[in-house]
Order: sequence, then C-alpha cells, then structure tokens
Amino acid sequence: MMLRRDKKDEEEGASSNPFQGLEKSTVIQEARSFNETPIKPRKCCHTLTKIMYVLNQGEQFGRTEATGTFFAMTKLFQSSDVTLRRMVYLLIKEMADIADDVIIVTSSLTRDMTGKEDLYRAAAIRALCKITDSTMLQAIERFMKQAIVDKVPSVSSAALASSLHIMKQNPEVVRRWVNEVQEAASSDNIMVQYHALGLLHYVRKNDPMAVSKMVSKYTKGGLKSPYATCLLIRISAKLLEKEEYRDASPLVDFIESCLRHKSEMVIYEAAHAIVNMKDTSARELAPAVSVLQLFLSSPKPTLRFAATKTLNKVAMTHPAAVTACNLDLENLITDVNRSIATLAITTLLKTGSESSIDRLMKQIGTFMSDISDEFKVVVVDAVSSLCSKFPRKYTVMMNFLASMLRDDGGYEYKKAIVNSLVGIIEENPEAKEAGLSHLCEFIEDCEHTSLATRILHLLGQEGPRTLNPAKYIRFIYNRVILENAAIRAAAVSSLAKFGAHCEALLPSILVLLERSLLDSDDEVRDRATFYLSVLAENQKALNSAYILNGLSVSVVGLERALHHYTLEPSEQPFDMKTVPLDTQPFGEKKVKSDLGPTSRPAEKASAPTQEIYAEQLAAIPEFAHIGPLFKSSKPAELTESETEYIVRCIKHTFSKHVVFQFDCTNTLNDQQLEEVYVQMDSAEGFEVESVVTAPVLKYNQPGITYTLVQLPEDNTEVSSIFSNTLKYSVKDCDPNTGEADEDGYEDEYVLEDAELTFSDHVQRVMKPNFMASWEEIGDEHELEETFALSAKTLEEAINNIVSFLGMQPCERSDKVPEGKSSHSLYLAGVFRGGVDVLVKSRLALQDTVTMQITVRSTDPEISELITSAVG
Amino acid sequence: MGSILGVSKKQAQILCVGLDNSGKTTIINKLKPKETQTEDIVPTIGFTVEKFKSTAVNFTVFDMSGQGKYRNLWEHYYKDAEGIIFVLDSSDKLRMVVAKEELDLLLQHSEIKGRRIPVLFFANKMDMKDSLTSVKCSQMLELEKVKDKPWHICSSNALTQEGLHEGVQWLTGMCSHWAAAPSSSECRPAQYFKHFRPALF
Ligand SMILES: Nc1nc2c(ncn2[C@@H]2O[C@H](COP(=O)(O)OP(=O)(O)OP(=O)(O)O)[C@@H](O)[C@H]2O)c(=O)[nH]1
Ligand SMILES: [Mg+2]
Repeated sequence: MMLRRDKKDEEEGASSNPFQGLEKSTVIQEARSFNETPIKPRKCCHTLTKIMYVLNQGEQFGRTEATGTFFAMTKLFQSSDVTLRRMVYLLIKEMADIADDVIIVTSSLTRDMTGKEDLYRAAAIRALCKITDSTMLQAIERFMKQAIVDKVPSVSSAALASSLHIMKQNPEVVRRWVNEVQEAASSDNIMVQYHALGLLHYVRKNDPMAVSKMVSKYTKGGLKSPYATCLLIRISAKLLEKEEYRDASPLVDFIESCLRHKSEMVIYEAAHAIVNMKDTSARELAPAVSVLQLFLSSPKPTLRFAATKTLNKVAMTHPAAVTACNLDLENLITDVNRSIATLAITTLLKTGSESSIDRLMKQIGTFMSDISDEFKVVVVDAVSSLCSKFPRKYTVMMNFLASMLRDDGGYEYKKAIVNSLVGIIEENPEAKEAGLSHLCEFIEDCEHTSLATRILHLLGQEGPRTLNPAKYIRFIYNRVILENAAIRAAAVSSLAKFGAHCEALLPSILVLLERSLLDSDDEVRDRATFYLSVLAENQKALNSAYILNGLSVSVVGLERALHHYTLEPSEQPFDMKTVPLDTQPFGEKKVKSDLGPTSRPAEKASAPTQEIYAEQLAAIPEFAHIGPLFKSSKPAELTESETEYIVRCIKHTFSKHVVFQFDCTNTLNDQQLEEVYVQMDSAEGFEVESVVTAPVLKYNQPGITYTLVQLPEDNTEVSSIFSNTLKYSVKDCDPNTGEADEDGYEDEYVLEDAELTFSDHVQRVMKPNFMASWEEIGDEHELEETFALSAKTLEEAINNIVSFLGMQPCERSDKVPEGKSSHSLYLAGVFRGGVDVLVKSRLALQDTVTMQITVRSTDPEISELITSAVG
Repeated sequence: MGSILGVSKKQAQILCVGLDNSGKTTIINKLKPKETQTEDIVPTIGFTVEKFKSTAVNFTVFDMSGQGKYRNLWEHYYKDAEGIIFVLDSSDKLRMVVAKEELDLLLQHSEIKGRRIPVLFFANKMDMKDSLTSVKCSQMLELEKVKDKPWHICSSNALTQEGLHEGVQWLTGMCSHWAAAPSSSECRPAQYFKHFRPALF
C-alpha cells in the first residue's frame, strides 16, 4: 500500500506544486488572520510562505495592499515562535521596498538583534539594514557598531555583510565604523575575518593608497581564515594588474608564498591568480603549474576539476608549461567525471603534437554522447583552435565537426560547431569547398532558423566564387520550397548573389526567382521582385551596389532617418548619405574562441555604441544644426591615472564639425567643481564654435562637457593637435555630507593634447565583394602612388596602414599567408559627407616594404587627400 | 499548569501610547518580570511587543513610539486593542496641550470611538519638581468629558515603580471584569461606568 502511494506521489511530483495557481487576492485575504489572537504560528508561517511565493512569482502588490499586509504581519511579533519570527524577517526584507512605513519594525528588530535569542540576532540585523534608509541610519548606528564586534560569529558576520550593502548608499556612515571592522578583522572566526576584510577593502576601494597599505599590513600576517586569505590574494592580484613591473613586488612574494599554504583553497587561489596575471613568464608559472599538477591526482573531484580547468586555460597561452602535466592529464581521460575528462582531453589537444591529434580525437569520440552540451562546446572550441594551429589537419577535424553536427544537441552547441566550420572556411582557402558541402548537408535538416539563414548568407557570399557554383543551387533552392518564411527569404537573397556573380547561371536563377514572386510571405516576394528587376538590368555596378555588397548603413539609423523624413515632408528626395553607417567593430579580429576567457571582454561590452552617442548628442540644442553623427572615436585618456581629476576624450565627427566629448570625474571628496569646460587651442582653421559646460561635478559622480569645433572649409586639412585646459570654479565641501561652501574660486588644470587625425574623418565599411565595388566606382578619379615604408614585415606594414587610414580591410586581405613576400590589401571606407573611398595597396617586401597604393573614390579631392595624407 | 486544570488566565492586548519621552517604554519595562527587563532604554522607533502578567490577566502590550512623525502609525494597532495605557509626562506642562490633542484624536478615531475599552492614564515622572498632580493633569486633558469609556488616572514614577501597581491593578480589574460584563445593549453606559469613576471625582 505504502509503496504504491509513494509511487503515485512521485508521478504527480512534477505537477503538484501546492502553491500552483495561488491568487494574490486570496493570499492577502488570508493575511488578515495575522490580526487574530491567539496567534497560530504554523498557520501563519504557511500564509507567509504563500505571500513570499506570490511575490516571487512576480505579482505586483499595490502600495496599499502591501502596506496593509505588512502591518498585519507586524502583529506576529507577539508570538515568540522561532520559526515564525524568522519567516517574518524574510518577508520584511521582501516587502521593504513595496510597503510604506516599514520603519515601524525598527525597534522590534533592534531588540531582537541585541536580545538573548541567538537564532534571531543575525537575521534581525539583515532585515533591519534592509528597512533602514539614510535618514534612519543614525538611529541604528550604535547597534551596528556593537554587532560588528559581537562575540557571536553569525551576528558579527551578518552585521559586516549588511554594512557592505549600506555602504552602497551611505558610504560616509560606514566609514565611521572602520575601527570596529578592523577589530572584527582580527577575529578567530574564519567567516567573520573574511567578511571584515571584504568590508575594509570595499570602504577603501576608491583609494588605491589605502588599499595597498591594507594589503601590505595583512600580507605580513594576521589572517587565519583561508577565505580571507583567498580574498587577499584576489585584491593583491588586482593591485598587481596596475603595476608595470611586478618583479620585485612583495605582492608576488605573498601570492607565491600562498602556494605553500596548508589550505587547498588558498593554494588553488594563489595558483589561479598567478596563471591569470598578464604576461606571466614561464618562471612565474612553473610553481603554480606544479601545485595544480598535484591537484590533478587528488581524490577530491572538485580539486581535479578546478586544476584541469585552470591548466586548460594556461595551455592556451603557455602550452609548453603544461606539457609537464601531460601524463597526469592522460590519466584523467578516463575520469568517471566526464567534465574533468573533457577538460583533460581538450587541454591535451592544446599541448599535444600534431601526431597525437588523431588518437585524442578518437578518444573524445567515444564519450561525446555522455557529456552535456556545455562541455561539448568546450570540445568544439578546442577542435577549432587546433585547426588554426595545424591547418594541414583540417580534414580530420572537419569530419569530426561534421559528424558532431549530425548528432543531437541544443542550439548553443550547434551554433558553436557552425561557427567553427565557418571559421575554418574563412581561414583556410583549401578547406572552403569541403566546409561548404558539410554546411549544405546540415541545412537540409536544420531546426534552427538563425543558423540556417547564417549559412545561406555564407553560401551566397562564398559559393559564387568557387570552381563549381552550380552545385550549391540545389541545396539553396530546396530551402525556398521547404522552409519557413525567414529561411526562404535568406535563400532568395543567396540565389540572387549567384545570379549577380555568375553570368552562366543567370538565366536559371531568374527562373527560380520568378517562382518566389507568388510566395505567401511578403518579405520573400519583395526580395524576389527586387532582385529580379536589378538582375534584369544586367549591369555590373548595380549588381555590386544592390546585391553583392548591399547597404552599409546601420539599420537602426536608417529606420530613424526614414521615420524622421516622413515626419517632416520635404521636396527633396531622401538622401542615403545622411544615414549613419553601420560601424564595424574596431580591429575586427575574429574573437578566437580559445582565447575567450583570458581576453577581457568587459571593456568592449561596456563601451557605449555609436547609437547611444548619437542619441545623447541629438538631445543637445547646441548641436542641432550640425547634422547626423558620422563617427565616434574610441575614448582616449587625457589624464594620468590616479590624479585629482580623470578626463577621457571622445571625438565625434560630423560632416563639417567635430564634437569633443570630455567625460570628467572629480576624485577629490572635499571639492565640488562647477561650470566645468575644456578650453581647446589649435591651429588656424579649426575654430571652436561653442562649449557645453558640465554644471556640477560632485565627488566621484562623472559629468560631461562638450566642445564643438568647426572644420576648415578646405577638405584637405584634416589633422591637427589641440592643447586642452580644464577650466572650472572650485567649491570646498564637507567630505562626509558632500555639502559645498557658498563661495568658489576659479581654477584650471592642464590636460594632455588631443589629436585629430585622418582616420577620424573616415568610417570603416565592409565590402564583402570588394572587386565588385571596385568596378562599381570606376577609375574616373583614380590616383596611384608608390611609397617606401619603414616597416620590417608585411604584417607590420598592414597594421600601420589600416590604423592610419581607419578603413576596413576586406576579403580578409589583412591576413598575409605564411611565407609570402608580396601581398594585396583591400580597404574600404566612407569619408565624412558620404564619399565612398576604396584603396588597393600592393605591398612587396625586400629589406623594407614598398607600397603601391591605388585610390578610387567618387570625389577627386578625397582621392588626392588620401595619397597626400599617406605621403 | 493552568491548561491541565482546564483554566487559563485571561489574555488582554493593550496599546501603550503617549508623547515621546513620556516614559512609556520605561514603565512597561518595569512591569515585566525581572529577568526580562533591559537596562538600556532608547527612544522607540515604530513599536515593540512586550508581555507581563498581573494577578488575573496576561497582558500583551504594543509599546508605540511617541515621536511626532510616528504617531500616525498608532492607528494600525487600534482595532485589536482591548485597553489603552496613555502615558503623560506630568513635568512637561508645555506639551500637555499636544497630549490632549493626540488623546482627542485617539478617542475620536472610528476604531476606538464606539468601543468601551478602558483607558489608563499614568501621570508619569511625579518625582520631578514642578510636576503636575494627577488631578491637574486630568483637568488639562478634560478627562471629565470622557463619558463613554472607563478610565483611571494615577501618578507614577517609573524609575521607582511608584504608582505602577495601582494602575495595573485597575486595568486588571477592568479587563477581567470586562470579559464577564454583559453585552452593551443590556445596560446604559453612563450608569454602568459611574462605578468606575476614579475616587477623586
Ligand atoms: N525622572 C523620571 N524620569 C523618567 C521617568 N520615566 C521615564 N523617565 C526617563 O524619561 C526618558 C524617556 O523614557 P522612555 O521610556 O524612553 O520614553 P518613551 O515614552 O518610551 O519615548 P518614545 O519611545 O520616544 O515614545 C528616559 O530617560 C527615562 O529614564 C520617571 O518617572 N521619572
Ligand atoms: Mg519608547
């Protein structure tokens, strides 16, 4: 009987959530019973759980409902049931932001946090800090100070962790508790010491001097807690990042000494820190790698996992350093934990020789089906990085990838495989045909629309330029018949490219496209109609501009400009040149997946895109007359780090103007700056038209000031150097309250120069089919010059030219095949004002590099400008 | 024990209000059993719940905060209150009018008005020089006009506990009596309460 019932329960298990379908109104109703006496703790606990559930389901409580429920809940303080009270604390935190007058529980909580019941104390502190805003902080300050140094570890820890949260809103108050925190940092309890150190660091985080003082104090000793030691290692590593030479640094000594710590956690942390230091030398790595090697044979799976994972990372940058561990890694191939096994194999793949590849690949093959998608992706990444290392092995790997593509797997996994195949195709011309065939096979049975469209796009781009373009048509046309609208549309575009590029195929392509004129989907029909009429003209220039190379404007920008145009009807036709270009990412290097974790993507991700700049600038009335934004530069620092003021400069180019944006931060907590602007002086012709000041710069709150410069009439004058002075009026202020004095005085601060160069006037544009565009522009304004460059290698010369001209390398022509002594570089761009510019540059290496540069553009002045700028 | 015998003490929920600094928390603290008393009394923010026993009744007291900005929160606790302790600082003549205002608001509140719940006044801090007598306090508060609720005033010194016992005894009587009292329709309020008017009047 019992057994049977259990089984039934189990079956229902998944769907029998007791709270399923709980209504907010019922729960609120039920909360009224909190007012009844005597209180029934179990029932009330249950009700509180329901409220919590409903809240966490995302139900919105109105202010009145929430406040009503909250006050009803306060009645539960009558009960001394421990479970109930702790539940009340939880819900107080949950409702702190949605109910009014939550401070009503302040005294009740301060009493619990100082009372005799230890089970209440820590939780009461956490709840108290959550309901206390800056106006009430003073009232609880005394209790917090006491709690921080409390004998009971959980109480002290709770107070420290809560202080960290308070710190975010009210740093000046928490700073007053530093003595107590310092006392807690010498606690014997491992958690308390850890939390105290964390808070101490947080308090000082804006003061590098204070941080290094703190670190040097604790690295000398005094930390018993392994957690705290780990934290100290992290802080030290952070400090080291900023140091130029770390050779003699005591911090390095400290981290290295931690490799001999008795706690495994600390040893691992130290090894991890060393491995992650930038430009680690082999000598620095050796001791870290050898402790990781010991962990590889640890009986604890977590240690084996951590060590393998870290070594995997080391293998990307220092494969030689890891070879010492190869034997241990080989043993891990059969580890029962498949995650460890996968990491071990992929590490071996990175360190191994070309000859071991076949064996290792076979070994992975045996358990690919056992591991999760996440680790399959790791394998895919390892395989694709092998391909760039051993291009000759591409057939083995490509077959391996293709067979994985046939297996089951989720989107992320399939995407990783497709990415790798595409990467191989792009990097290795020999692999192109085979790779495209694999992808053709894949799209015959592919459930992911985004992958199918991506592949169709690639086929359209690469297929027409292969030896036998006709063989791809069948695969593409099958999509038009079999798939959903998005894929059909992509297939139509792909077909059109074959038609535009291969004259022989044109008649049949026209027939196929005609069939799509009756497609049920608007987009598919529109595309077919459009391509048919362009192809019917049979003109190379049209084909290039509208089929092979397409639009180079930003889609969002186009949408906005068209919208704007429809709002203000005008006689003039819509001008494509007013639409901002699609910005090509800087230094368009394919993010090599094997470098993924080590490179720091955070910086890139947080950099605001041009869209955001455009919006910000458009909102400023002073810039209303200068037209749409053409290009924004990367930010450049105009101050040394760790100075009083931090100023970054971003150059925004418009068709006849440049706006210099200065992001300023005031790092002095006893000063407030007002009416801040940058005075710019430069060569004649570059006139400062106006400035937009930053009205106030409070301590640590960034502000922006702009300077608008008009460009010379003469388009050939494009570069200049500006000397900059930050001007402002200073008011002294109270560091604690931030309150500023009445009176201020004028002052200034000299900044580094800002430079306007040729590349600021040019936007990168990608031309997937460069030669078609070259024909399209024609040779009417062609100029040719020859120069001798000082570069010692072709790569160096290419890098210099690309960064000087600020144009986009097309057709991967920035990559020089190994062992070549001459090379052609294709660059495409648009000069401000919307003039297309293409550059072909032939480079030849004898001791130095000779460059013959051919420029084509729609404006003779611009062609000349480029040749003279290079010279 | 009580439950074994099948009898249990009467429970009563009491609300303790009054201006800030009048001594509410100090009084309640002194009424609690010795071992649960605290040394450290700070101005209340919001409220705390306290418990103490008298001879016949177990009291649960909501000790409210008296500061101006928190007085509007008292009303959340009116509904379930079975008795009120209103503490006056008898040495604070200046603010006696403020106390009166708050008392009037309390008595007029819809959740208090129609209910015949006992109100105990402590004219606290009687030890301070120039403190007002309980008679004077009740005149200033115009307590004689309170006809629909039993009330009692006694002078107290929370520090020495003088007067506290008397007040609690009265409240105990009211609460236990209250529990046994006939329902309101059966007797006329004025007569009924006459009996409880303080001896002084
Ligand atoms: N001399 C004297 N001082 C008293 C007496 N009762 C209380 N005090 C003092 O008056 C001050 C305020 O007392 P509390 O009990 O905190 O006053 P409260 O009414 O609870 O104040 P809030 O919580 O702010 O509403 C304290 O310093 C007490 O020691 C008394 O009878 N005589
Ligand atoms: Mg109080």
